[in-house]
Amino acid sequence: MTGRGSPSRFLTAVLHNGVGRYVRQLQRLQLLFSPTAADARGARQFVEEAAQDFARQHPDVVLYVSPHSGPGPAPVLRAEYLNGTVREELIASKTSEEIVQLATKMANQSGLDIIRIRKPFHTDNPSIQGQWHPLTNKPSILTVQGPRLQPQ
Amino acid sequence: MISTDPFCFQQWATFGRAWYLLDAKMQPPGKIAAATVIRLEGRHKPIYHALNDCGDHVVIINTRHIAFSGNKWEQKVYSSHTGYPGGFKQVTATQLHLKDPTAIVKLAVYRMLPKNLQRRTLMQRLHLFPEDVIPEDIEKNLLQEIPQPREVPKRLDEYTPEEIAAFPKVWTP
Repeated sequence: MTGRGSPSRFLTAVLHNGVGRYVRQLQRLQLLFSPTAADARGARQFVEEAAQDFARQHPDVVLYVSPHSGPGPAPVLRAEYLNGTVREELIASKTSEEIVQLATKMANQSGLDIIRIRKPFHTDNPSIQGQWHPLTNKPSILTVQGPRLQPQ
Repeated sequence: MISTDPFCFQQWATFGRAWYLLDAKMQPPGKIAAATVIRLEGRHKPIYHALNDCGDHVVIINTRHIAFSGNKWEQKVYSSHTGYPGGFKQVTATQLHLKDPTAIVKLAVYRMLPKNLQRRTLMQRLHLFPEDVIPEDIEKNLLQEIPQPREVPKRLDEYTPEEIAAFPKVWTP
């Protein structure tokens, strides 16, 4: 309800939102799958049909295709971002098209944690004119002469 | 440990408390209280928030010389109950004012403040003086005078004979 227990962060933008030059934040994408398991059928189909196209469309992303030996654990897409985030997405029982969609989404993400954002606004320059204090917009004579009772 | 936040020390000035002076001479107590409560709560500040403690101090002088309108001095009744059977006390504004020349302004401010746990704390930042004599340690804190809500009327004996003679007359008695 109050959101105090859930993890949260402040609004940030990577590299000034890509103004000037866009730098893709996804470094490596690793496809871990079994060559035999039934739930990795879509992953194998992705390697045969779409992996080359994906790698060609994303020249700044290194795509590793690493099959397990034997049935092994469930197939995953492991993404490593420039800020060090490693995110794994389960692709068990997913079709080739769904994996392409997921890989494209991961390539476009920034790698920042997807958690509650505390405030929907942020600035790097909190105040140009300076923070308010009790003497702001007061006559400057107050700061020079100090307290002065006005004689009637 | 000293914080590495570069904006940390700027807040010291932002949350500093100012001391205001208010002259209650010939002023209605309700108007005095309304101007005071705003400062005590900190509602005049752009940083105001109900949960941050940003109220200022207010020093009110000349509370003995407040001015009620109408016949409130006789008609206005201040009631209290001691808690004992038959302990219901009622005094008129005149009687209360003679007993304690700061009580009327104090009650007006106290009753205009929000009825919550902060009320006693905010009242501690209210300093009332029946005359215009202020202790030295309070006077040296004063920052600014709050403009009076009402213009102080001038009595006839405060005018010079020349001013009275120069006053335009519609008819000659």
